[in-house]
Amino acid sequence: MNIVVCVKQVPDTAHLKFDANNQLMREGVENIMNPFDEYAVETAIRLKEAHEGSKVTVISMGPAQAKEVLKRAIAMGCDDAFLLSDDAFNGADSWASANTLKHAIQKLVPDFDLVLTGQFATDDMSGITGPALAEFLGVPSVTFCKRVDVADPKTVQAHREVEQGVEVFQMALPGVLCMMKCDYEPRIPSIKGVMKANRTEIPTHDAAAIGLPTDQAGANGSTTVTLKTWRRPKKEGGKKIDGADPQVAVNELIGFLRERKVI
Amino acid sequence: MNMNDYKGIWVIAELNRNGELYDVSLEALEAAKTLNPSAPAEITAVLLSGTGMDTTNAEAMLSHAGADQVLSLKHDLLGQYQVELFTKAVADLIEERKPSIVLMGATSTSRDFMPRVAARTRAGIAPDCTHLEINADGHLEATRPMFGENMLASVISPNHRPQMATIRGKAYAKTALDTSRAVNSQTLTPALSPEMARTKLLETMKSETKTGKKLEEAEIVVSGGRGLKGPENFGMVESLAEAMGAAVGASRAVVDAGWRPHAEQVGQTGKTVSPQIYFAIGISGAIQHQVGMSSSKMIIAINKDGDAPIFEIADFGIVGDVFQIVPLLTKTLKEQNLVVTV
Ligand SMILES: Cc1cc2nc3c(=O)[nH]c(=O)nc-3n(C[C@H](O)[C@H](O)[C@H](O)COP(=O)(O)OP(=O)(O)OC[C@H]3O[C@@H](n4cnc5c(N)ncnc54)[C@H](O)[C@@H]3O)c2cc1C
Ligand SMILES: Nc1ncnc2c1ncn2[C@@H]1O[C@H](COP(=O)(O)O)[C@@H](O)[C@H]1O
Repeated sequence: MNIVVCVKQVPDTAHLKFDANNQLMREGVENIMNPFDEYAVETAIRLKEAHEGSKVTVISMGPAQAKEVLKRAIAMGCDDAFLLSDDAFNGADSWASANTLKHAIQKLVPDFDLVLTGQFATDDMSGITGPALAEFLGVPSVTFCKRVDVADPKTVQAHREVEQGVEVFQMALPGVLCMMKCDYEPRIPSIKGVMKANRTEIPTHDAAAIGLPTDQAGANGSTTVTLKTWRRPKKEGGKKIDGADPQVAVNELIGFLRERKVI
Repeated sequence: MNMNDYKGIWVIAELNRNGELYDVSLEALEAAKTLNPSAPAEITAVLLSGTGMDTTNAEAMLSHAGADQVLSLKHDLLGQYQVELFTKAVADLIEERKPSIVLMGATSTSRDFMPRVAARTRAGIAPDCTHLEINADGHLEATRPMFGENMLASVISPNHRPQMATIRGKAYAKTALDTSRAVNSQTLTPALSPEMARTKLLETMKSETKTGKKLEEAEIVVSGGRGLKGPENFGMVESLAEAMGAAVGASRAVVDAGWRPHAEQVGQTGKTVSPQIYFAIGISGAIQHQVGMSSSKMIIAINKDGDAPIFEIADFGIVGDVFQIVPLLTKTLKEQNLVVTV
């Protein structure tokens, strides 16, 4: 199988820092591979291991430092990596990102069987890129996947986790799958893998190289504009009962629920 | 594209297998009604269903809830959700009738096909929004969480139409029904053919949640974490939930350990809930857990570690042993016949 994985570098949302004006600080924040993309990479490598002759290519659009996540993907077991980097890509929303990735995939891996993306990126939490990419590529898609099996060379079965339970979808290839948390965890790169990643040259392509007109790239090619972002008012802790006898604590809680008029 | 050609607000309503509307569809309709109350736009509800499905009740309910007209798209191929067919049916209708705004409740269905509709119609889309308004320039301004719920962003689509958004469950109240409103519905047949569908649903495995209550729709959620020590002790979480008519949730730690199904997981890699009351029982309150529950209206935490981060966001916290507190709480509620209603 010829597999493409789209990975995005995101700030670690567990350790965000804010300045005095409650604006997000870009410096001093650790950048990681989007957690859902780790599952996408893991899934791709598992498919590769199960199907001899497969190849996994990872692609990321971002600044030069996004090579770090591509190296991590190689270290985990992917074969090839491309960075898409150009000032013209700045300010891309998910719609424009999907369009950019579409041009890159058609240029660099035109004979792909399967594209894997994360369900959403933890920074913009949009979940638009994967299905929009499928639409632009003119192929089917399944979102919220947590397991992928290959039925025959041209069909996959994807387990999709939804409100009612798990749906098993069959999808004709080529197609796009958007990965959630899976039934298995992403592997930690081996030392050998890290050494291989360090030796791997990662080519960078700009808009021209993937045939994307700059008026379709970045903010120009986006269908939305973010007007502003602000820190969500942090919820304050309220009453805390410590060291009380359990029945006293329970009675206090019931009193509190009465006060709030829910009992 | 002439932006002025695009008029009115659409709400795409979603039906369950029994032909009943999802709560979040009526919440999206409420969101539509709050837009521009001084000069209300025409609201159209769009319904997709299989030819055999009786949608009379749903159409009436949408009308009573405020839809000025209902467009009921019916086709044999729409009986079961399929991404490419739903995309085609909705995108064709948008191109033909040109709505200015298209809303839908944020569900695994809307998050599956609405991005494709936006891609196809070159529209802007704001996913999982918590608030909508029309700004001074007449654009739909959507507020949505980002960065693991730490930030909010306001998003517009100034140069594209329609303006699309999916609305997070419980961000708006279910709209009140006015049964005196007339039902104005029209049945349409979209142009679909079987070969357009390249995915096929093979089977649905019902979620293993034991209480049967839907986590996303529950007004009270009782979640348990690793503090419960083992799957066998979840009985006390279930009993408390039962005593209050609540749904059961779980932290990732216990889902990963196989104590509870992933369908119950709350947090970044699970579900986002915003019930009236959220009980966190033996849960430390890691940021990835908070992502899924911090918008709950009231948070109650029980944890033996007074420094657990969950207390930073809890409206009421008990520092204590869950094995003592939880059964006692359930017992006290039952003995005193206390009913928790929200
Ligand atoms: C990418 C990523 C995604 C993640 N997604 C999620 C997610 O979706 N949801 C999620 O929940 N987590 C998620 N996590 C994991 C998260 O970081 C935490 O590890 C997890 O939430 C911890 O679960 P817990 O609170 O049950 O366990 P612990 O952190 O082990 O906490 C157990 C708590 O129980 C208390 N306790 C122990 N015994 C008792 C007792 N007898 N009485 C009272 N209290 C007791 C302890 O004081 C402790 O606070 C994610 C992590 C990553 C990296
Ligand atoms: N800049 C990017 N480079 C590569 N992949 C991306 C990029 N942005 C988004 N993606 C992919 O699209 C998924 C969903 O992202 P989003 O739509 O932004 O929530 C991510 O998990 C990635 O797989």
